[in-house]
Amino acid sequence: MPETTAGVEYTKVVEIKGPLIIIDGITKASFDELVEIETVDGERRLGKVLEVGFGKAVVQVFEGTTGLTITGTKAKFIGKTMEMPVSQELLGRVFDGLGRPNDGLPDPIADKFLDVNGEPMNPERREYPTSFIQTGVSVIDGMLTLVRGQKLPIFSGSGMPHNILAAQIARQAAVVGTKEDFAVVFAAIGVQYSDAQYFKRSLEESGALRRSVLFLNLADDPAIERIITPRVALTVAEYLAFDLGMHVLAILTDMTNYAEALREISAAREEVPGRKGYPGYLYTDLANNYERAGRVKGKNGSVTQVPILSMPADDITHPIPDLTGYITEGQIVLGRDLFRKGVYPPVNVLMSLSRLMKDGVGEGKTRSDHMEVGNQLYDAYSRAQEVRALAEIVGRAGLTGVDLKYLDVGDMFEQQFLKQAPDENRSLDETLGRAWDVLSNLPEGELTKIKEKHVKQYYKGK
Amino acid sequence: MSSNSALERTISKVLSQKETELISQIDSAYQESLKNLEASQGKLEGERTKIVESARKQAENLKRQIVGSSRLAARNQELVIIETAVSNAFEQAKRKLADAGDKESYKSLMAGVIEESVSSIGSGKVTVECNKSDTELVKRIIADLQKKNPKVEASVSNHSIDIIGGIRVKSADGSMTYDNTIDSRIERLKPLIRKNIAQMLRGEE
Repeated sequence: MPETTAGVEYTKVVEIKGPLIIIDGITKASFDELVEIETVDGERRLGKVLEVGFGKAVVQVFEGTTGLTITGTKAKFIGKTMEMPVSQELLGRVFDGLGRPNDGLPDPIADKFLDVNGEPMNPERREYPTSFIQTGVSVIDGMLTLVRGQKLPIFSGSGMPHNILAAQIARQAAVVGTKEDFAVVFAAIGVQYSDAQYFKRSLEESGALRRSVLFLNLADDPAIERIITPRVALTVAEYLAFDLGMHVLAILTDMTNYAEALREISAAREEVPGRKGYPGYLYTDLANNYERAGRVKGKNGSVTQVPILSMPADDITHPIPDLTGYITEGQIVLGRDLFRKGVYPPVNVLMSLSRLMKDGVGEGKTRSDHMEVGNQLYDAYSRAQEVRALAEIVGRAGLTGVDLKYLDVGDMFEQQFLKQAPDENRSLDETLGRAWDVLSNLPEGELTKIKEKHVKQYYKGK
Repeated sequence: MSSNSALERTISKVLSQKETELISQIDSAYQESLKNLEASQGKLEGERTKIVESARKQAENLKRQIVGSSRLAARNQELVIIETAVSNAFEQAKRKLADAGDKESYKSLMAGVIEESVSSIGSGKVTVECNKSDTELVKRIIADLQKKNPKVEASVSNHSIDIIGGIRVKSADGSMTYDNTIDSRIERLKPLIRKNIAQMLRGEE
């Protein structure tokens, strides 16, 4: 809630260092307090207090310090942390990275003002995620099922179509078989203008914008703003989920840009760097964001997170994917080889995993054969990869009849199951039908992961 | 003659055989055509169903898209109208507040505002800025305040500021300012007041 009394405005800026300004003569300031900075030209920027002590305050300026001067700059301490106005009216709106309207419409009429840092979810009140979210993407629904309340990141690489996949998921995601409301909160962090326009247009044209809230921080926006973008987005997601009872899918792309911004601030604060220059608290900071997903006992809504990050040099051991992997419940990895082969979405299923899939699929949730079919596809594709490697050495002539079948199944898997158009929304039945089409090319005896009754019911081979 | 009749018989036999053969061929061709036609009809029917199904899906999507966009456009239009009404309400409120300088409630408000602002700046000398019409009132309130608390070192600035009401306090060296004008208070409370006005406009209150 806005305070009825304003804070004090200070003019003694003693140092400007990267994204930070240091103000002297401070009598009252608190950690994380919001600061309104006014430049000599009257331009207003926002910042937050990082450190206070000895009459000084270190303030991180979200919109950057370009154009700020030691003399003439004013800093007003607002007396509260950064808040996001929230209401149902946010649906269908587009905001910038700091949560300000970006669609030419007025500020939303707020129902509440929520601290963007959120409140930690009481672990005892958390409910285990067990319900399926359909994305319309075969490989995700069939083999890496997303479950309401889960956090499932997409590990991608530079130039790969993660943004197209993100937009497709945002357009198509739905909670099937229930009339409960579904919403998408989309946070674009440090994306190119063309990508931002693509997201916006894609949601507008599909009619999905009315159930979405977009936060767009562009590549040319100040890097420091990126620290706030996921926080405002997740604040809105929490409100929609736990106050309005909606099932919310929060897509955060690209978390690598977020981590870069953290590194920039850490360097400016002269902190001891950790791996690759990222701050030692990168894990904690990422966890602060990722752990804002889940379900709460006694509440209808849920926040499901799909953070997307591009791995520098496709290195999965890089600190960002590495630490993300510790926190999240599985990962979807995009593969460069499949991308080069023209397969979209180029999901490397053998490196991917949805840890909560087993609890969200099966009888009464999706279809009784779902888990088994997913496992069998993994098995068959893994075998196909081994056979491919073997064929490279001994040639096709040296393979057995069954090996040759696996070779065909590998190709069919990539071309008929994995590959789909960016605007193709497949139902779960269609996805599982395609999976059975692929598996039916194997001899019945090879389907060792599937119960006999399901083989009898769905197997199409001779 | 007999050789001729034999020839005719042979010709007739051959003709008859050919006729039977041709009839059988035509018959089988006819049967085949019927079969093909039947098969094609099935295929055609399948294709037709696929096309109709796909068109139905497309139409549904398009409908959803158009309805969604229209609802969104209508909602956005409503937001703009409400915002205009809210801005008008604020303008009117500001005008009314500007005329409230003589009221007793304003005088007690100013006393509270001055006390709060001076204490926020902390100890030391402070300069109080206000609009021209409030100068005398502010001087009286400061004098009263100094009687109550002799430690307060406050003076009224010679330069008036263009505000609706309230005051702005500066530390002696100018490094600290506390803005407690009615203008800034309205700005701070605007998000809350906007909600109330919007609720009234929507008939929710």
